[in-house]
Amino acid sequence: MAKQKAQKTPFNWKRELKLAPGYLILILWITFTFMLLGWVVMASFSTTKEIFADQLLASGLHFENYSKAWFNSDVSGIFMHSLGYTVVSCTLLIVICAPAAYTLSRFDFIANKLIQTGLVSAMGVPVIMIVLPLFGLVANLGILNNVASNWLLMIFLYVGINVPYTTIFLMTFFSNLSKAFEEAAAIDGCPPTKTFWLIMLPMAQPGIITVTIFNFINIWNEYFISLIFANSDRLRPIAVGLYSMINSMKYTGDWSGMFAAVVIVFLPTFILYIFLSEKIIAGVTGGGVKG
Amino acid sequence: MKKNKGMIIAFMTPAVLMFVLVFLYPILRTILMSFFKIENITDSFSKWQFTGLANFSKLASTTLFKQSMWNLARIWFIGGLIVMSLALLFAVILTSGIRFKSFFRAVIYLPNIVSAVALATMWLQYVYSPKFGLLKNFFSAIGLDSLAKVQWLSNDHKFMALLLAYCFGMVGYHMLIFASGIERISQEYYEAATLDGANKFGQFRYITLPLLKGVFRTNITMWSVTSVGFFVWSQLFSTVTADTQTITPMVYMYMQIFGAGNSMTERNAGLGAAIGVMLSVIVVIIFWLCNHLLKDDDLEF
Repeated sequence: MAKQKAQKTPFNWKRELKLAPGYLILILWITFTFMLLGWVVMASFSTTKEIFADQLLASGLHFENYSKAWFNSDVSGIFMHSLGYTVVSCTLLIVICAPAAYTLSRFDFIANKLIQTGLVSAMGVPVIMIVLPLFGLVANLGILNNVASNWLLMIFLYVGINVPYTTIFLMTFFSNLSKAFEEAAAIDGCPPTKTFWLIMLPMAQPGIITVTIFNFINIWNEYFISLIFANSDRLRPIAVGLYSMINSMKYTGDWSGMFAAVVIVFLPTFILYIFLSEKIIAGVTGGGVKG
Repeated sequence: MKKNKGMIIAFMTPAVLMFVLVFLYPILRTILMSFFKIENITDSFSKWQFTGLANFSKLASTTLFKQSMWNLARIWFIGGLIVMSLALLFAVILTSGIRFKSFFRAVIYLPNIVSAVALATMWLQYVYSPKFGLLKNFFSAIGLDSLAKVQWLSNDHKFMALLLAYCFGMVGYHMLIFASGIERISQEYYEAATLDGANKFGQFRYITLPLLKGVFRTNITMWSVTSVGFFVWSQLFSTVTADTQTITPMVYMYMQIFGAGNSMTERNAGLGAAIGVMLSVIVVIIFWLCNHLLKDDDLEF
């Protein structure tokens, strides 16, 4: 990312006028984005009648849409499932991938290049290539018949599918850290394993935060794997839950409740984005990730 | 180096184990499955019947599957054109020295972090709504009543409606890739070109585009990988199972194997595996083509 410092050019009418078409196009696009999101938020605070009469918020804010969606339609349930999945999976991903990424970036061993190639290729593998054997295996072992084992399976899958991306991302990050730290630690007699946990891992914190944000968003929004492996009321994560909820709310005619549920689902990643958008955007292109 | 051996093994094992269990083993098994007739997905290997390429030829002669491939091709090509043009346009504007760059960029990328289910619902229930929809209100406001009356989600328009909504969400990601590519191009090229009297368009055509070859490659590869997995949007936009307007290979596979409640003619997990193999081969071919057609010409910048 280029530094933003260059932006401090003095205001110049002629220059800005030349850029006017650019401004116009961008403003049109983001106006549409805001209308889309803004309308849905407003609709979530209106009654269903007002939505159909196209008079949003005519009778003030209806917070009860949210409490109804949260308690009666059980958005709370799927929300908590997803929160559990994301927190546990994101933590495990760092514990598993950070040591591997560090090793790949620092040590020269036989399978190093092979593992890297494998991980990079895995990022381009369509998910359809992995679900069938996994499903067969899991069904044979009876894992889907028990809530606890099914929950563990979901964690295993969420972690597994994100291992390649997380490892490659952290690997580029570790290779940019200077080797001088380890050399100094080695001279002081610190064993390499300890050096990693106490010195290198804390130094990789910015990279760990970025990759965790991405993992959080990915797992929170994950749909296909969850649809196949976690399609029961006690395990359903938010994306799959929202889908079945929307279908039933269309029939019950509770449109304001539906929009409230949509807002609840999209709120966590949205809030994360408001505070961390610069970090997220830098992470998309900066880490040399995904190509 | 020798004393690090234990550490390397301890540090690599968990990640490699996960990779083998979730990627390597299932991929190899899927490839194997695609050559067999497997009545039940849980059947053990001894019950599989080897049928060679029968699964593939069966798919090639199934109308619904061909329709799903055709839809995927349209999504990839038409959607790709729309997304890449808009992404490139936005990237060029963003890097042209406008104000509020970070703000614009953040808002354009925003749809990428929203759950596809939530985003698709916004489009379906609001933008395309025939009663209070954004499109309906917009077209009646500017007096185009004939357009205001269009049923965007009817069978005739559904595919385009789906595609537009999908593209809206995808532009941001590809825009970021383009923008970072443009920012890496040295300003000196443009200064030299300006001195030589080249206008902005000429600079774009003869400096920016050729130097973005590698970036195009990344974008096309990523676009292909995500297109192949096209599923959620299709499921949300289809009103009936096996909706010919929105069906994609992934949806077809899901219907076949995980049964959408309707009686499909034949239960054969090998067909699902064959679809996976076909899609992977397509991705590999596109990747290979990109690498050969969009060579970097040893340009250093």
